Formats: sequence, structure tokens, C-alpha cells
Amino acid sequence: MIESLVPAASSYAADIDALFTLIFVFVGFWLILCEGLFFWLIWRFRKKEGARGQYITGELKSETRWITYPHLLVLVCDLFIVVGAVKVWYDVKQYLPPAEETVRIVSQQWAWTFVHAGPDGLLGTTDDITKVNELHVQVDRTYHYKLESTDVLHSFSVPVFRLKQDAVPGRVITGWFRPTQAGEWDIQCAEICGIGHGLMGARIYIETPAQHAAWLMQESPISIAAVTRTRPAEE
Amino acid sequence: MIRRLVVACACLALATLGTGGAAIAADLARGEVLFHYCTQCHGDAGGGSLLARAPAIAGLGEWYLQSQLRKFQSGDRGTHPDDVGGLRMHPMSRLLRSEEDLQAVAAYVASLTPSRPEPVVEGGDSARGAVLYTLCATCHGPEGAGIQAFNAPALRTTNDWYLLAALAKYKVGVRGSNPRNGTAMLMRGMAMQLSDEQAMKDVVAHIMTFADSK
Ligand code: HEC
Ligand code: HEC
Ligand SMILES: [Cu+2]
Repeated sequence: MIESLVPAASSYAADIDALFTLIFVFVGFWLILCEGLFFWLIWRFRKKEGARGQYITGELKSETRWITYPHLLVLVCDLFIVVGAVKVWYDVKQYLPPAEETVRIVSQQWAWTFVHAGPDGLLGTTDDITKVNELHVQVDRTYHYKLESTDVLHSFSVPVFRLKQDAVPGRVITGWFRPTQAGEWDIQCAEICGIGHGLMGARIYIETPAQHAAWLMQESPISIAAVTRTRPAEE
Repeated sequence: MIRRLVVACACLALATLGTGGAAIAADLARGEVLFHYCTQCHGDAGGGSLLARAPAIAGLGEWYLQSQLRKFQSGDRGTHPDDVGGLRMHPMSRLLRSEEDLQAVAAYVASLTPSRPEPVVEGGDSARGAVLYTLCATCHGPEGAGIQAFNAPALRTTNDWYLLAALAKYKVGVRGSNPRNGTAMLMRGMAMQLSDEQAMKDVVAHIMTFADSK
């Protein structure tokens, strides 16, 4: 359902969508039932010639039942939601699968800097590839990210991943994702961070292994002399 | 009924014709409105703000304003990962949604009274800077007023902290290492001639004396 609005491109996107749908269905069911009942009561007991209004204190058992029964049923629904939410939260934010590659993400007013591991697959080496507002990842590969901020709070948000993580100055926050579908999508900032917040967009390029290898070839500092000439947006 | 329609159409036609003559005035009016985007950082009168790292821009050459705004928009300037100021200005340039808007705001900023910001950088020796400035004068003019033929902007109407920061950025290549930004690459070669930070401070101190003489 949600996928028809925003594509799902990470291993946990489907779980988050399922949880979202579950909440939507439960809440929607109760909303429609309660509103329906209210409107029916309003209609049923509307003003009539000769009928006097009645003052009801709501203390009789037969009356409090109208509260306690639905209350218990809502709690049962809550149980499902809580169990689902804890499970998804654990999978996405607490559990950290082993990384095949790590990417450093630096947020600042108003840009994203992505430090890619480069051809050797290791971060912090000389062949790292630094890009502003461009994240290149390979499909079906598990990534860790190390999220930083140089100034104020930001939030790293990738809608197609269903991922959102705040960036806090002074901290390096680790998380993970695993892209499952090749394509090019938006990255945005999801925490008000100043006048340029709404313009703090970037792009994620999820590439097939062949595409990713081609990109690495093109960017690799091993051929830096040739590359600096063709490298876009270096300044 | 038909007569009324004809009259209405004629009035409309006249009205559209009439706006043609007012195009230039409208440009400045539009520019003034758009300039409200800029004041938050560049100051109400375009006099710059150290806190926002935004330099004085009031009264800069219209050609220079246009060229830099285009470079910010395309990402040829202000997209180096270490360019803190540039990365802030880069998205702001995209608030200008059309070429008309860009030209309107450039025209308005150029029409503002050039500012003469107070010097804040300390430790520069303007006498030594005068010697160094002989090189700069070729392009930026003997009084730092800028020379359009060389694409070299005015230097004397902006903040000394910004000049110093700009020179430092050119020198390390945070500005002027993008092959698509030819003018910045050229200026980078010039900044390389300044051996160290002291030399930069000296030449900046000298540029600030122009502002006084004006
Ligand atoms: C969020 C703050 C901010 C806003 C808003 C902003 N700017 Fe800037 N602007 C900057 C910063 C910071 C720089 C310095 C960039 C650098 O260090 O290279 C700058 C640089 C510039 C420059 C280059 C000056 C030079 O001497 O090269 C121009 C031109 C400019 N801005 C015009 C504008 C215009 C026009 C607007 C309004 C549409 C605007 N700016 C809005 C922050 C801002
Ligand atoms: C060959 C001509 C040339 C010479 C010589 C030259 N410049 Fe420049 N300068 C330029 C050009 C062109 C630009 C515009 C660069 C751009 O588009 O980024 C510029 C830009 C600058 C800027 C940035 C201004 C701004 O508003 O952002 C500073 C500061 C500067 N020059 C200082 C100097 C100093 C100091 C010297 C002497 C050491 C010097 N220049 C020598 C051509 C020159
Ligand atoms: Cu942000």
C-alpha cells in the first residue's frame, strides 16, 4: 500500500511499512466505529416534539460498559502494536548486522558530505572518495554509517529506506542499512536546522555491482590526475 | 454584452503594453523583494555579518554578482566539503528560481550604496602589503575597485575577514580547484604567490586603506 506511494529500497522498509499499516488499520477501525456511533446517536436522539431531554450521570453498570469494553479491546490492539514496534525498533536501531562497508556522513548547514570507502573498501585510507550531496552505494550490500554534525542538529532521512536518524554535534552515531533496489532517490534533512533546512537535499545512487565498479573507476584517486579534470563539483 | 467584452479586451491589451516601459523599474522592485531572502545573513544594507560568515555585497559589480550567483547555483562554487561559508550560500542561491530573479536581485544589490565595513583582522602591516599588492593591482585595479575586463571584483567594499578567508581558501584549493570555475582557478594561482598567512594579512590591511581613501 505505502510502496505504491514511495518505493521501498531497504531490507527493513517492508517491516516498517507493515507496522505502519497495522497501526493505520487499528486506528482507522476505531475511528470509523466511534465516529459512526456518535453520529448515529446524534441522529437517533435528535430533538423531537414532546420528548424531554434526560440528564445521565453515567454511573450505572449498564452505562459504564460503553467505556470499559471498548477500552479493553483497544488495549488488546495496543498489545499487537507494541510487540510489532519493539521488534521493528530492535531490528532497525538496536541490532547491528556486520558491515560489508562503512560510510561516513557529515551534516552541516546546509549540505551532506559523504566519505565513501573507495576501491579498498576501508574507511580512513587515502583512496576514500568524498562527495558533497551524493551518496553512492551498491545494492544488496550491508552498510554501516557513522553520522556526524559539525554545527547544529540535523536528521539523516532517506524516505525509500524508511530511515531517519538524528545527527548530534559532538557525537558519532552508528547505524546500518542494506539497499535492495537499484535507482536514484532523495535524501533530506528532517530536523529544522536553520534558514537553509528546506534546501538541504542530497541524492542517493543505489547501483548494481557493475555500475558501482564503474563509478569507483571513475572516481578512484589512483587515477587522480586524470580524474580531477573530469570530476564534477569538486570546488 | 459583446461590446463590453471588446472594451475589456482592449483594456487588457493596453495594460500589457503599458508594463513594457516599466520593465527596468520593475526589475529593481522585484530585486528589492527578493533581497529580503539575503538580509538574514548579508545584513539589512548588504553590509555583511561575521556571525553568518556572509560578506558585504552591497554595491559590488552587477556582472560579478550575476556570475557568482550562477556559479553558486550550478555548484561550481560553494560545494567543496571544507567550504563552510560556500556550502551555506550554495542552497541560498537556489532561492532564485529563474534567470529573471537572479538578474533582478543582482541589479538591486549592485544599486545599493557600497559598504565600508570596519576592519576586524589584526596584525596586518599595510606598508608591506602595499608591495605585495602591486601584483593584485593588475587585475583588481590600483585602488581595489575591480576591473570587469579581467573578471576581477572590487575588494575594497567588502569585509577584511572575508578577504582573508577567501585568500586562504584559494590557497588550499577549497576555492579554485574546480576545473569548471576558470576565474577562481586563475585567482588561485595568484593566492599561491602569497607565501603565508602573514602575507595575506598584510595585503588585506593594505586593501582596507583604500576604503578609507574613498
Ligand atoms: C544563510 C545565509 C545566507 C543567505 C540567506 C544568503 N547568503 Fe550569500 N553568502 C553567504 C555566505 C556564508 C557567503 C560566503 C561564501 C564564501 O565564503 O565563499 C555568501 C556569499 C555570497 C556572494 C559572493 C560574494 C563575493 O564577494 O564573492 C554573493 C554574490 C551572495 N552571497 C549573494 C547573496 C544573495 C543575492 C542572497 C539572497 C538571494 C544571499 N546571498 C543569501 C550566506 C548567505
Ligand atoms: C590575473 C588577474 C588577478 C590577479 C593578478 C589577482 N586577482 Fe584576485 N581575483 C581575480 C579574479 C578573476 C577573481 C574572481 C574569482 C572567482 O570567480 O572566484 C578574483 C577574486 C579575488 C578575491 C575574492 C573576492 C570575493 O569577493 O570573493 C580576492 C580576495 C582576491 N581576488 C584577492 C587578490 C589579491 C590579494 C591579489 C594579489 C595577491 C589578487 N587577487 C590578484 C583575478 C586576479
Ligand atoms: Cu539540516
